[in-house]
Amino acid sequence: MSNLLKKDWFGLGLVIILGSILISFFKPAFISPFNLYVLMLSVSLMLVVAMSQMIIIAIGQMNLSVGAIGGLVAISFTGLMEVYDLSILSAMFIGLGIGIICGFINGYITVKTGISAFIITLATLYIFKGMNLGITEAQPFYEIPESVKYFGNAKIFGPIPFLIIIPVIITFLMWVLMNRTSLGRYMLAYGNNVQSSELMGISSTKIVVYAHIISGLLAAIGGMLVVCRLQLGTPNIGDSWLLPSFAAPVIGGAILAGGKVDVIATAFGVILVAIISQTLVIFKIDPFFVQIFLGFMILIAVFINRYREYREDRRNKVFSNE
Amino acid sequence: MKTKIPDFVKTNQFGLLLLVIVFILLFTFTTDGFSSRFNIYALSRVVAIDIMIGLAMMVVILTGGLNLSLGALGVSAAMFGGWCMESMGIPISISIVLILLFGSFLGWINGYVTVKTGVHSFIVTLATMSIYFGFMTLLTEAEAFRKLPETFTDFGSMKLFNKYISPLLLLSIFTCFVLFYLFKFTDIGRKLIAAGANPDAAELSGISVNRMFIYCHMLSGFLAAVAGIMLTSRIGAAIPSMAGHLGFDWLLPAFLAPVIGGTLLSGGKVTVFGTMLGAVLVTLINNGLYLIDVGEFWVRFFLGLILLFAVLLDRAREYFTSKNSIVS
Repeated sequence: MSNLLKKDWFGLGLVIILGSILISFFKPAFISPFNLYVLMLSVSLMLVVAMSQMIIIAIGQMNLSVGAIGGLVAISFTGLMEVYDLSILSAMFIGLGIGIICGFINGYITVKTGISAFIITLATLYIFKGMNLGITEAQPFYEIPESVKYFGNAKIFGPIPFLIIIPVIITFLMWVLMNRTSLGRYMLAYGNNVQSSELMGISSTKIVVYAHIISGLLAAIGGMLVVCRLQLGTPNIGDSWLLPSFAAPVIGGAILAGGKVDVIATAFGVILVAIISQTLVIFKIDPFFVQIFLGFMILIAVFINRYREYREDRRNKVFSNE
Repeated sequence: MKTKIPDFVKTNQFGLLLLVIVFILLFTFTTDGFSSRFNIYALSRVVAIDIMIGLAMMVVILTGGLNLSLGALGVSAAMFGGWCMESMGIPISISIVLILLFGSFLGWINGYVTVKTGVHSFIVTLATMSIYFGFMTLLTEAEAFRKLPETFTDFGSMKLFNKYISPLLLLSIFTCFVLFYLFKFTDIGRKLIAAGANPDAAELSGISVNRMFIYCHMLSGFLAAVAGIMLTSRIGAAIPSMAGHLGFDWLLPAFLAPVIGGTLLSGGKVTVFGTMLGAVLVTLINNGLYLIDVGEFWVRFFLGLILLFAVLLDRAREYFTSKNSIVS
């Protein structure tokens, strides 16, 4: 039991369950099938986006271009189908390819120049976004194949959207990657301490480039999922991803200096953010409050993480004195 | 035998100055209307604000941090000013003092939370960005203040020097000199740099690093508020969306100017005039891109590329200068 309490996701899970019970007590509409469906849809999309950022946080960097990659892939995916009549499958693979290339560019430049990933991804954010606007001239693509539309609307059973399958699989794969593979361990080791991980013989280039490629790939998937859900490819897909992409991992206890991320806690962070946003909508609170709330949640999470670190430090000190 | 090259030739600022001159010549001869009175006046109004934004970011980069909330903060301060002047009827001079205090206060929040949590200012200002912008939109109901006092808006459309230059640019240049003096010749300025360069050493030599970092954030908020006032005066109204969603339109010039100007992202180094030249260069290129008609939508793409090239060049310069110093 005490082991469970120490887990990052445990407290979050408790908050989610108790919060949901409390909210549905005051507003039964919260557990209506429609509301649950909307909730799960937004969780599905943000889950992928949060994972895309989380893997970069794991190596102690940040990726500002997550939204720009998602947007570029979204309009490429729809544009290829509408303008060039490509099949869904080939458009999808090209979309994934674009995500991988974008991620590779981010990772390769970052690791080869040693310039902070923040500034590199800020530059690529504008490059990718500029390409997006240059190609579309800010006009959306409306002609989406019916099967894509169907995929975005279908439900497995009850209120569970079909769309949620992909994010759930991705979350599982990410958990396996971070907890059960040497690549994931190496990434965390690199995030923890670059010098010592290099001394251990881990190739920095490989780690950073792989992490950014995975991030780009996930951002690409996120972009295409949004297309399925919106049923069109607008150039502004991804514009609002930055804040939630950091919020979920940080609420999930990730340390921004790198070396510590928790996939399950990040997923719970996504769910918590979605529930709160949805609740504010149900209580008819101004949508701008959602944004303020998200900001405050990040700050609160930061304070809590800090406090726990402090407590852990103190406990460690007690032991070393014995 | 060897002719000695003066030191300033090797500096980043000199290279920048050359680039600025090259671009001015290039655009003057290749485009119509670059050197027209209208265009130069328009440029001076834009560059004035870009310099101020760049300086506001520079003073936080000094601490090794960043301020994502810059745009949101500037717009919040500007909207607060609009409310003071239009709704409350407070005289302009008092309003401006209030705006600057308000901006410094928002900066203080950034600094205080950063220092107290020990979290990177990136995440703190990411959060405050959405908090400031959210509150601003909520309180103003996304409505602009369009009936500002005429003396205030006239300042932004005033033309000096044979109608070539906006007084806003003079204000920015004046601010550059004040900051230069602050960092070069005052005790507090040196303490700020020392705290940014090596926090541990600064702490050991009796400087309160936390307090210095909070000062930097307050200064950043102050300068962002100045930029907000200038933009309001230029547009003639305080508009919630004047820096884009969440103030994001300010971020690229904010980072471009100091980074091109040679400010180290790891902190501990400021280049006031480098930042100024960086802002001039960015505005020039931006303006030139519109004039040679690359298409409105591709401008962003090129600015991103330029940022990338700027940091790569800076890296190359560092590499070669360090190699030279080993040889000699």
